[in-house]
Amino acid sequence: MNWGGFQALSHLWLLSLLAPLALFYFLKLKRPRAEIPSLVLWRQVLQDHRVNSPFQKFKRNLLLLLQILLLLFLVFAATQPFWRGGPGKQRRLPVLVDCSASMDALDKPGGVSRLAEAKRRVREMIDGLASDQELCLISFDNTPRKLTGFTNDKRLLRDALDQIQVADVPSDLEEALRLVQALGRSEPFDEVLLFSDGNFPPRVNFDLSFKLNYQRLSPAGPNLGITALSAQRAVTGAWDVFVQIEGSADAEGNASVELFEDGNSIASERITVARGRAQRMVFQVKGDHASSLRVQLTPDGFDSLAADNMAYLDLPGSRPLRVFVPKSLVTYRRALQGIRGIQSFPQETSDEASGAFDLVMSDRPQDMDLVARTKLSVGFIPPELERFVELGTNGSSVVDWRRDAPVLQHVQLADLMVLDQPRFAAGEGEGDLENAGYEALIYGQRGPLLVRKQDSDGVRFALLFHTDRSTLPYRVGFPIFVANVVQAALEQAGLAEALANRTGVLPPLTLAPGGRYQIQTPEQTTEPVTADDHGIVSGVAAPRAGFYSVLENGVTRRRVGAGLLSPSETSLAGVAQIEFNEQLQVAEASAVMKTDWPLWPTLLMVALVVMLAEWWFFQKKPGGWK
Amino acid sequence: MELLTPRPQMTTLLTNSVLDRLQRLRIRPAGKRTSRSRGEHLSGKGGTSTEFCDYRDYSPGDDTRFVDWNIFARLHRPYLKQFHKEEERHVVLLIDASASMKFEGKLDLAKPLAAAFGVMGLLNNERVSAYTSHQAGGAPDRMPPCRGRASLRTLFQFIESVEGRGDAPLDRAVELLLRHHSGRGVCVIVSDFLTFGDLKRSFNMLFAAGLEPMGIQILSPQEIEPDVTSDLRLVDSETQETLDVSSSADLLNLYQEYRQGLENDLALLCRRRQGRFLPVSSATPVESVLFDQLRRQGWIE
Repeated sequence: MNWGGFQALSHLWLLSLLAPLALFYFLKLKRPRAEIPSLVLWRQVLQDHRVNSPFQKFKRNLLLLLQILLLLFLVFAATQPFWRGGPGKQRRLPVLVDCSASMDALDKPGGVSRLAEAKRRVREMIDGLASDQELCLISFDNTPRKLTGFTNDKRLLRDALDQIQVADVPSDLEEALRLVQALGRSEPFDEVLLFSDGNFPPRVNFDLSFKLNYQRLSPAGPNLGITALSAQRAVTGAWDVFVQIEGSADAEGNASVELFEDGNSIASERITVARGRAQRMVFQVKGDHASSLRVQLTPDGFDSLAADNMAYLDLPGSRPLRVFVPKSLVTYRRALQGIRGIQSFPQETSDEASGAFDLVMSDRPQDMDLVARTKLSVGFIPPELERFVELGTNGSSVVDWRRDAPVLQHVQLADLMVLDQPRFAAGEGEGDLENAGYEALIYGQRGPLLVRKQDSDGVRFALLFHTDRSTLPYRVGFPIFVANVVQAALEQAGLAEALANRTGVLPPLTLAPGGRYQIQTPEQTTEPVTADDHGIVSGVAAPRAGFYSVLENGVTRRRVGAGLLSPSETSLAGVAQIEFNEQLQVAEASAVMKTDWPLWPTLLMVALVVMLAEWWFFQKKPGGWK
Repeated sequence: MELLTPRPQMTTLLTNSVLDRLQRLRIRPAGKRTSRSRGEHLSGKGGTSTEFCDYRDYSPGDDTRFVDWNIFARLHRPYLKQFHKEEERHVVLLIDASASMKFEGKLDLAKPLAAAFGVMGLLNNERVSAYTSHQAGGAPDRMPPCRGRASLRTLFQFIESVEGRGDAPLDRAVELLLRHHSGRGVCVIVSDFLTFGDLKRSFNMLFAAGLEPMGIQILSPQEIEPDVTSDLRLVDSETQETLDVSSSADLLNLYQEYRQGLENDLALLCRRRQGRFLPVSSATPVESVLFDQLRRQGWIE
């Protein structure tokens, strides 16, 4: 059994210093002189064989003994002995530290978080790092971050470890392992150490090419949290706010849920959450103006994770949907008349139609340049599709359609007659269409009849045939189809449904075009952002739950809340075994990762004590023979 | 009212009260060693004093004046009356005045002790002589034998003038003393007895000369309980020789063992020569030594 070893055994040559030490001691020893009446007795004493035994002689030179001890301890410390902790040591070891939201959970009231526990264990490893060992610290939540390269600089590693903070987002182990794999190409290693609570999917799509030492942290305490928050506009114009409360496997008990609108409490409810069950509730909020909702969950008992006790939702104000439909599309305008909350442009009495719209439906290509998040082109091939699709006149019929597409919900298209014939261009197919970002929703005989493209600018539908040259306007499904398009426009405009803002990335913020702002995070740090030409600020990182303020010249322009709404993080469930590709499974390590215990600090402390003893002995006032 | 003026001190060695008490005391040696000359001490042999001692059978040649005629008339046999013989005792004082006695008041105790023995001798009509040893090889300072109360001042002046110096070994001092001395009695040796020499030979010579050794060893507190707590270079005050010692409990224990051994050896030396031995600390008051220790151990009565 290997108990330990030395990292720098070559330093034993320092033992040769014993010779000069003894030499200098006897050369330099200066004893204080003390005159006594007679040496008669002392000479007899010192001639006694008991005094002259080698051990007694050595005892007389206590100062030399202390100096030799001091040197021995120093030399022993210089050889850097260590007490073997683990089965063996790796020369290079990447260390993955999970810092997702669940790692902030405490084990008990007043206890330590999972991340703090992981940091403690990594710190022990750093402290016991041998001179020929290198660690690479990588933290990961939904994205991995390489904090250090492979190094044995303990100060650097400790600083990097201190920088690891919990992000209130789920973890993505796959991305972290891919980063580690990339590291291994330049600096090979055999083993990777993973510190996590196991709160990630049990199946990871990754080809494991190294040994993974999965150090699963002890489970956290019970937790209740908000796992869903959304709002839907009711027919009355008000908002129905849906809240879902879930807990970890061992969480149960009472809690209160309070709803705040623009900072004012407007509703409160007491709930009881049973073990393994979710609790749902609905609040009514007037939708006459835009407002900011905050849901606060306050469990009665201990709650290990605080980040999921708050959720935020921005409700848009109530307004009619602005729809542009040219007067030539009579059937569409007529279908829109049956839908409440629609403001059609141009109006019947006027041709004026300016400004931004929520929905543009037109059979004129130039109308597609109007500003709107939802657009429906009718009867022509959009310019970007002209490469893939061409319009013929031989007529077509519907072969199939995507019945699960929201825009085709409850729309029956069987036996639809179409005079136009959209068809794929020579050598083009559906795959090319998909590569261009379009998705076919209705399939004709020779090509797609309806395609959809969704991007950051909104959603665009393109009916590649003109409805006026088809039997669609005469079918029951046509007003339903128009209503579905309107519903899609409502969703795009945020007028039909509102979802809670999640942590990770803030939703796009509409501000002044080209404006420069500062985003103030819940930790009161600021980050500069610039709005694009449309006044949109997007991609703002929101790693922590809380309010994010948009500042312009120090003045708050807007506040956006972001909260953790991940059921998996709230559940604090941890997987004991990770399954990788090719049915490769990695179970949690059965033993806590033990590090080699360096003995040199202890030896140095002992040496210091010996040195102090020697100093005291050397400096103390000589006694006797006053 | 007439004021009483205090009596002037006779000597700086002993206070008047100590002297008053000493007048009532006398030296009590273990054996009866006296000189042939007539004195106040009864000899073991028959003498011509007026104090009857015993009868013995008449032998031809005996002085017929001492025949008890009354007994002869009753028993018809001659018996000779015997009387105690009163002989003179010699008190020899030897004060070790080497440099080693200067430490921690050793000589300051030795001088009054020697003076006290001298006083007791003089007041009891004994011959008192005093010697001090200083330099090795040199003759000891000497106060010739004297007798009687009138010699007190001479004794005090001699002892008061003693100063600690020199490296005279005690054994050598005894030999030199015996060159000048004659007569039987006691020899009071006041010393630390820390000598490299052979004291056995010196004590044998004292015994052969008819002097009963009465040794008083005076050691300083530091010699009795040395406090060596570090590495030291000890320097002999007489020879200036050096010795390196390091503090250790074992070393001090050995020292005590050897010191006790020296005491035992000295006591044995004295006892085998019908003498006495007393170790005292220089910190002990002279009154305590005289009227407590010496009296309790029967040195004086």
